Amino acid sequence: MKRSSALLSVLVVLAVLLSACGAAATPAPATQAPVTQPPVPTATEAPTIVPTPAPLVLKYASSANITTWDPIASFSTEAAYMANMYEQLLRVNAPGSAEQYTPLLATSWDKSADGLTWTFHLRPNVKFHDGEAMNAAAVVKSIEAEKDHAGASFIWLPLASVEAVDDMTVKFTLSYAQPLELILGSEYAAYIVSPKALDAAAANKDYWSTGVDAGTGPYMLESYKADQEIILTKNPDYWGGWQDGQYNKVSVQIVPEATTRQQMLESGDADIVTTIPGDSYATFATNPDFTVSTEPALFNYTAFFNTTKKPLSDVKVRQALSYAFPYDDIIKIGASGRGTQSHGTAPNGVFPYSADVKQYTYDIEKAKQLLKDAGHPGGGFKLNMTYASENSTEEAFAPLIKDSFAQIGVDVTIQPMQFTEQWALAKADPAKAQDIFLLLYWPTYSDAGGDNMYSMFYGAKDAPHLNVTNFNLSYWYDKDYNDLWDTANGLSGTDLAASLAKYTEAQNLMVDQAPAAFLFDTKVAIVTPNKITGFKYNLNYPDVRFWFYDLRAPK
Amino acid sequence: MAAIPIITPVESENTRTLRHVFSMILREPLSLLSTAVIMLFILMAVFAYQMAPFPEEGAGKTHASNTLLSPSAEHWLGTDKLGRDILSRIIVGARPALIIPIGVVLFAVLIGAPLGALAGYKGGWLDEVIMRITDLFLAFPSLLLAMAIASALGRGLDKAAIALIVSWWPWYTRIARGVAVGLRERYFVEAAQASGVSDAIIIFRHILPNTLSPILVQATVDMGTVILAMGGLAFLGLGTQPPSPDWGLMVSEGRGFILDQWWIATFPGIAIFVVVLAFNLVGDTLRDIFDPRQYK
Amino acid sequence: MQKLEFFLRRIATSILVLIGVSVITFFIARVVPANPAALYIGPKARQEDINRVTKQLGLDKPLPVQYLVYMQELLHGDLGTSISTKRPITEELTGRIPATLELLFSGMFIAILLGVPLGVLSARAQGEPLDVAVRILSIAGVSMPAFFLGLILQIIFFRNLHLLPLAGRVDSNLRFTNPLTEITNFILFDSFVTSNWVTFKDAFLHLLLPSLTLAAYPLGLIARMTRAAMLETLEQDYIRTAQAYGINQTIIIYLYALKNAISPTLTVIGLTVAFALTGTFFVEIIFNWPGLGLFTVRSLLNVDYPAIMGMTLFGSMGYVLINLIVDLLQAWVDPRISLK
Repeated sequence: MKRSSALLSVLVVLAVLLSACGAAATPAPATQAPVTQPPVPTATEAPTIVPTPAPLVLKYASSANITTWDPIASFSTEAAYMANMYEQLLRVNAPGSAEQYTPLLATSWDKSADGLTWTFHLRPNVKFHDGEAMNAAAVVKSIEAEKDHAGASFIWLPLASVEAVDDMTVKFTLSYAQPLELILGSEYAAYIVSPKALDAAAANKDYWSTGVDAGTGPYMLESYKADQEIILTKNPDYWGGWQDGQYNKVSVQIVPEATTRQQMLESGDADIVTTIPGDSYATFATNPDFTVSTEPALFNYTAFFNTTKKPLSDVKVRQALSYAFPYDDIIKIGASGRGTQSHGTAPNGVFPYSADVKQYTYDIEKAKQLLKDAGHPGGGFKLNMTYASENSTEEAFAPLIKDSFAQIGVDVTIQPMQFTEQWALAKADPAKAQDIFLLLYWPTYSDAGGDNMYSMFYGAKDAPHLNVTNFNLSYWYDKDYNDLWDTANGLSGTDLAASLAKYTEAQNLMVDQAPAAFLFDTKVAIVTPNKITGFKYNLNYPDVRFWFYDLRAPK
Repeated sequence: MAAIPIITPVESENTRTLRHVFSMILREPLSLLSTAVIMLFILMAVFAYQMAPFPEEGAGKTHASNTLLSPSAEHWLGTDKLGRDILSRIIVGARPALIIPIGVVLFAVLIGAPLGALAGYKGGWLDEVIMRITDLFLAFPSLLLAMAIASALGRGLDKAAIALIVSWWPWYTRIARGVAVGLRERYFVEAAQASGVSDAIIIFRHILPNTLSPILVQATVDMGTVILAMGGLAFLGLGTQPPSPDWGLMVSEGRGFILDQWWIATFPGIAIFVVVLAFNLVGDTLRDIFDPRQYK
Repeated sequence: MQKLEFFLRRIATSILVLIGVSVITFFIARVVPANPAALYIGPKARQEDINRVTKQLGLDKPLPVQYLVYMQELLHGDLGTSISTKRPITEELTGRIPATLELLFSGMFIAILLGVPLGVLSARAQGEPLDVAVRILSIAGVSMPAFFLGLILQIIFFRNLHLLPLAGRVDSNLRFTNPLTEITNFILFDSFVTSNWVTFKDAFLHLLLPSLTLAAYPLGLIARMTRAAMLETLEQDYIRTAQAYGINQTIIIYLYALKNAISPTLTVIGLTVAFALTGTFFVEIIFNWPGLGLFTVRSLLNVDYPAIMGMTLFGSMGYVLINLIVDLLQAWVDPRISLK
């Protein structure tokens, strides 16, 4: 008896504890408080309640996580927030805009005839969030830091020196002509950072990790809970000024699951989202509260052939296979119709894209014929194709490629892998690597000649897969292509038209040799609630879906 | 996991003839219904491509113009985001949903039971070692262990299956050992030992057959548990990969659409539920048959 | 004295088991085929960077050495650093525990609150329709996939009835309009204690569906076990004696029988914790609940092996601990167990 009653009392105590910590069976009588009331009424007589106006909060469910708060090192998804906190000297406008560039921290600039000397005039009376003045010295310090150790420091390779001519003028000297505006407007490694912060960071390597903000932009970092939420608040002294209807705060919830973001958007838990599952946009298109717009993006999909392995070492085989990709279905099913078949490797809307670069059509008969010509009548070989398991688009269209190749007698094994695994496989030994590598790519800044055409296809004669920036996943080397590229790239700093012509020639050669199949240039779908206005997608900043400063809240 | 049954070693299995078992099952309407469901499930698995109205879609072929159709006369359960008929996918998905768990449970038994019988029969340090290792594996929540192994091995159906086998064999070792310990003192075992019959034959001829009934009960219930586990792994993205018509995968794929096209996630989920329920009910009845002392 | 000896033996066994668990976990995590260093840096990494990080993370040393290093760090409370978030795993764990505990407590609370009475009632009404209904309900609870139940509840209560929120722990607007002073990070508790009724109600509503989803399996199991234990107890002679004496049936059930049914119920509670732990994976994904489960699933998918190790260790430790407590409680209630 005694033991059992003791046990019972233990259970009773447990039950009480549980009810304190867990769900109460009935909630305490809820006061019908309107949401704007201050939380705790303290006085015993009825207090006079002055409703504090709720701040205008933008709720953002974002897939973009923070890998670093360091604006110099930043080379990843955190650009989504950095671009609202920091500014470059200028911004590259979306294709089709009236002006090519928007002046930000620089108001005007000019360059010498040989394209090697550039002079930038800075915007006066701009302060960093920590109170420091933005001037030529600050710009020089930032650029030098970027060239030295930025995540994307390679964009500064052409820079020979940068110096402050006077307090508001900066001179850039290049060692070879390059389109400097494109580099200065880059999403990475181009922000102007407070010199005080740079000094502090140099002294303390953990300076940025707590979430520090040293920019000039319209929003400042208020609080940060790692992996969960970021709160930004407006910079009241922003040089661009503020109007009615702009958001005071941005509440970002980091949600890696696309499906959950979709649900939050639908239920109103989020005002804006980065992306939702690709096949869900159609549902929102018919929803009267939302608008789905489709814009060209600078991402494209490429299927690299491992040119070191038989039978892919034979260009005829590669050309044959290029006719066997169901390009339209891939776009329709893989990307829900949001894309256009690629013309080479420069995406639509990015220099040096040209519609004059040829494409392969989807022609099974031609594919069969070419295979026969190459000595493989009826196919009869196996290929192993890898794709990034995190990428739902690749996951969706990989089976289409498999089905289509089966029609010409080529047996494809689809192997989903974590991107890093896929990458490790490709970089190890080409002889053991995959036969086909599906890759989603985008240039670091808006020059696909300097980036895509070089990074993915400019091979080195020995060990072609070990060139500088590593994306030569077909291990291809063609001297003529390299020579054409050299010429084109040399011209890009001075004569864009001539450069474009040479790049196009190079791309045509490349497409002909088919080291890869150029699947499609993506279009990005953006779903926005109709109640919020001011959206404008800029494909030059792929990680930045929303410029919070431009948005206007519902009336 | 359902609770571990209390093991009473039975003297002999002669009274538990198959006919007796079946008559017990058939007597109760619930278990009769469950057995019918399981039969239907097996039929679907065997005759999947004959039964499915759109067999190629069941296998994974897409139909871009038919996406997200609600249930209708032509597509009884509607279509999914790639235009595939959901009913067909469920039917075709019955095959892996049945075969993989059978394989997993079978292997778990084949590995676990002999180990346990050996441990219980021999006793001594062998018993200690085997049971310590078993306890170690059982110290992990089984599904957590399976998830960790599946993640380490990589995504895919085969890896998930291996992970599940590794996580589930210890349960059978424990059961078999319990039986073996109870039996090793019995006269017929001692008689066999005295006549010089080898240990291996004693284990296989005398001990293991007596583990059959509690293992059968556990295995039936485990069918349900493993189906749930496979579905769960696929739902999270660790197990079966698209475009396989795995039911758990279908629920995951339909999750984003529950607010508008609720049928995509709902019907595969119901399929999992009904099949697991059937196995659990039959397992429950089996337990009543073999161990009436425990539950009424 | 015998009991004390039993207690100490059980605790010692548990510690040994924990060590064994750490070995197995470590082994699993290092079987990881992907190159963990490459994972750590990110997609555009170069071979020299990968080599550098491999050395930095100590991955080039032989396995036994790596294990010893790991154990050493573990004993100092260092669980390593997550590859995806680049933060100490201990920090991730402690930050997320309250959310998961809140979920677990409420789920188990519902399961026990409903399961025990249901089990008792169905034992009392044995053979009658109520009994059959409870039997089906409890087996249904055990058979229902957690990931499916959550979705169904969302469809019914959010989409169709518009009664409950879809996901999340609390409405994000509230942090600006009714900011909550965080004390324990148990939102219900904190809002209750600071009289922040708006947040309390909101958090309660958000907690309902996930708790119900998590409670289904334990509820089914507890109802069945309680029923079985009650039935067994009700057959005992002393019950018959009490009945023969004319003592009220209700009193018999609640005073005599229930007490003795506690023991197997405790066993079940220990077992269901294992399920509840893994159940949180599904519940937290579906309801976007920022707890350990969500973190573990993301780690599993990203093959973030330090985080996987940390979570598996943590989960198993919790399981071992609960089982230890249950065993000790049972031995205390029923001393015969400690004599084995």
